[in-house]
Amino acid sequence: MRIAIPKGRLQDRTLALFAAAGYDTPGDADLRSRRLVFQRGGIEWIFVKDCDVPVYIEHGAADVGVAGLDQILEHNCSAYQPIELDFGRCRMMLIAAPGAPPLTKVATKYPRIARQWLESRGVRAEVIPLGGSVELAAVLELTSHVIDLVETGETVRVHKLELQDLVAEISPRLIVGKNAYRTETSKIRTLIGRIENIVMPSVVEAPAGAVAR
Amino acid sequence: MVEKKLRYPTGVRPLLVEETARRRRIESRFVSILEDAAFAEVVLPIIDYVDPYAAILSRETSRSSYRFVDREGELVSIRSDFTPMVARALAPTLNPSQLPLRIFYRGDVIRCDASRLGMNRELFQIGAEIVGDPSLDTDIEVMNLAVTIAREFNIQARVVYNDTSIAALLSDEERNAVVTKRALTPSDIARRLTPDIAARLEEIAAQLDPATFALHLDDLDEDTGYYTGIRFRLFGSDSRKVIAQGGRYDAVYQRFGAPAAAAGFTFTIDDLD
Repeated sequence: MRIAIPKGRLQDRTLALFAAAGYDTPGDADLRSRRLVFQRGGIEWIFVKDCDVPVYIEHGAADVGVAGLDQILEHNCSAYQPIELDFGRCRMMLIAAPGAPPLTKVATKYPRIARQWLESRGVRAEVIPLGGSVELAAVLELTSHVIDLVETGETVRVHKLELQDLVAEISPRLIVGKNAYRTETSKIRTLIGRIENIVMPSVVEAPAGAVAR
Repeated sequence: MVEKKLRYPTGVRPLLVEETARRRRIESRFVSILEDAAFAEVVLPIIDYVDPYAAILSRETSRSSYRFVDREGELVSIRSDFTPMVARALAPTLNPSQLPLRIFYRGDVIRCDASRLGMNRELFQIGAEIVGDPSLDTDIEVMNLAVTIAREFNIQARVVYNDTSIAALLSDEERNAVVTKRALTPSDIARRLTPDIAARLEEIAAQLDPATFALHLDDLDEDTGYYTGIRFRLFGSDSRKVIAQGGRYDAVYQRFGAPAAAAGFTFTIDDLD
């Protein structure tokens, strides 16, 4: 089985989650080695950029991974999402400079999500895809608005921007490739069960005889 | 001037001499197996109108084909799925006295995908179907034939199947739980089966090799498409790739004015060796 770990914001908590579920995960020394593939406890752990996790899973290059709902939606990824994780939650927000003109142009790293949201709101606006530092687009008036993830709101405050509307609540999820689930069903159900016990311990108290490990 | 552009549009490429020879070898072996099993070939056009399929294909599916406006102003699409096209082609001439009919087809389909997953592809497919026989024997024959063909290509097939009609037994909420794999295990679903579906599944399972075929009651998609009964996927040793898929789609012919049961499968040949 191959598990894709998102590098960056979610990496440490994701590794801690698998470790808590009893998996032998790559340690700090491994991670400092700059290698991206590790064999531990019969599992191949691969480290990929967070936005690429859905791509690996969808193509079957990895069986299980952790990805934010932002990346899942943006890629229109069809993988199963059996567990919503309890860390790294944030919000995707519509952001603008105070006193900004009406919503006509939106800069974002998430063009697909942005278009869908604008459509659902009946707003006609142009979407300008950017690779990063999206707030700058609003600061420099490249666009009237920005759609981006907001975790603490610090970036928004520093740039003297304001939050205008909620686009989506974003949470990381355990994702499982459909064909991996179909063909490695018992292994993957075991994995889902072990992760579930960590994320939602209350759910597991149930029929007598069921042992939560 | 020498044309500098080397690349092709995403997902398509030419096959040069060796690859073509290999493709043709596979194709002729495949076709001879189908002909030995009394299937006859039909050839379908590479483009067709979008309209006739509107009721059969979900919005999502029809969006995954290349569509354009032809010179008469009609919306047409490049072939992306053979099954409904076979039904549309055969329906007007279907003669009840000649059923069941055993049909096969081969050719390219082109799928495009607007997402960022890079799944665009031209795929060479060969498929077969039995028209006009609603019996379980046909479901079983179709599934076993797919495994036999895979074996001819040295593929130790594993088939995962389910009955899509169980989707109708679940509420929207329950179905969503199954689709996301959040809750509702196969044993939960087993308890919900109506006696006739349970009996049907039991009878099918009794006639399939348990080492090859596995019933997964929780294998349901958001959209079961045109399938009305058994739906299966065949995997080889690389268990992440679906080599063949198929099932029963009894409502498709009716859409084209000729009520007839049908069950079949399609192999994607690029995935065979």
